[in-house]
Amino acid sequence: MLKIVDSAVPVACWSCSAAHKASALFCSNCSKIQPPPSGEYFSVFGLRPQLNLDLDALERELHRLSRRLHPDRFARASENEREWSLADTALLNDAYRTLKDPLRRTEYLLKLHGAEIGEEHAGKDRRDPSRVPPDLLEEVFDLNMQLEEMRSARQAGETDQELEKNLVEAKKKFDGLLEEVDRDLRAQWQAWDEGDQAAREAAQKTMAALLDRRRYLNNLVRDVTETLGA
Amino acid sequence: MAYSDKVVDHYNNPRNVGTLDKSSQEVGTGLVGAPECGDVMRLQIRVNPETQVIEEAKFKTFGCGSAIASSSLATEWIKGRTVEDALTIKNTDIVKELSLPPVKIHCSVLAEDAIRAAIGDWKKKNGVAETAQAAVAAK
Ligand code: FES
Ligand SMILES: [Zn+2]
Repeated sequence: MLKIVDSAVPVACWSCSAAHKASALFCSNCSKIQPPPSGEYFSVFGLRPQLNLDLDALERELHRLSRRLHPDRFARASENEREWSLADTALLNDAYRTLKDPLRRTEYLLKLHGAEIGEEHAGKDRRDPSRVPPDLLEEVFDLNMQLEEMRSARQAGETDQELEKNLVEAKKKFDGLLEEVDRDLRAQWQAWDEGDQAAREAAQKTMAALLDRRRYLNNLVRDVTETLGA
Repeated sequence: MAYSDKVVDHYNNPRNVGTLDKSSQEVGTGLVGAPECGDVMRLQIRVNPETQVIEEAKFKTFGCGSAIASSSLATEWIKGRTVEDALTIKNTDIVKELSLPPVKIHCSVLAEDAIRAAIGDWKKKNGVAETAQAAVAAK
């Protein structure tokens, strides 16, 4: 689990003891570098958790903070401060990579709100029927069977025109479904960013289900593309 | 990440890969997916109607090495057992046998789900009352 510390809870600066936000890389009072913060990624960039992000602003903030963290600036600083400049830079880059990518950003936000997502979770809510779309599973499975058939036909030096045509069609269809999922996700972003508590909880559930669906579709499109391209 | 020897063995020589006739009264089919990664697995059993012993088990997995090994092992384990006995297999047994690391636990869960779904399907076909656990998995 992610450790979530409310970044509104202030911590004391190691140097001047002034209170500042737990997500701050620098003290707002004396400007000294702080140890890697334990708060969530959004607040490292001075943002509220949100899904529709201004990516240009995010990048500008990355550059601004990276410059301030640059090791050259700490050549004569204490050993602690030198170490922190490296650790803070690593954290800043992780945070940036996570927030920049729309899917990773969505997953991250859902995890912040307690969703069990990703390979490290044998999710306890996995038997929730909304997480297992049976018709999609059937389709994904059938298509995988066809892909296998096509690969072994090719290995035997044959081409099954009919089968290949089917797969090209299927790929189109699944590309379309992926786009649909992404559109739906974006609509949920909006609902989450602008919603109250209840609306947010509903959006979180929907987004978790959409991301599940997306994983199946994505694997399939990847495999079809690989096989057809070979 | 390195796979354990047992995973590699099952991966290179998977046991019981294949398909049983889905429409047969004696066959139960479980098709399950791992939402964590998008992998899919189908496990099928053929049950002796007199003895309720699983006489044949086949699987087909489109997924990672651990999922293939877990389902291969699962078919080995359930063959020769009664359906009720097969339901006692837990994903943690698979984790132990294959020494799966934490990120691969969900692969073993997928195999347990597949056993339960296949047995649930067979029970439904044959009008056998479901145990509470199997009812959840067959959904
Ligand atoms: S990585 Fe998902 S089933 Fe193995
Ligand atoms: Zn200070």
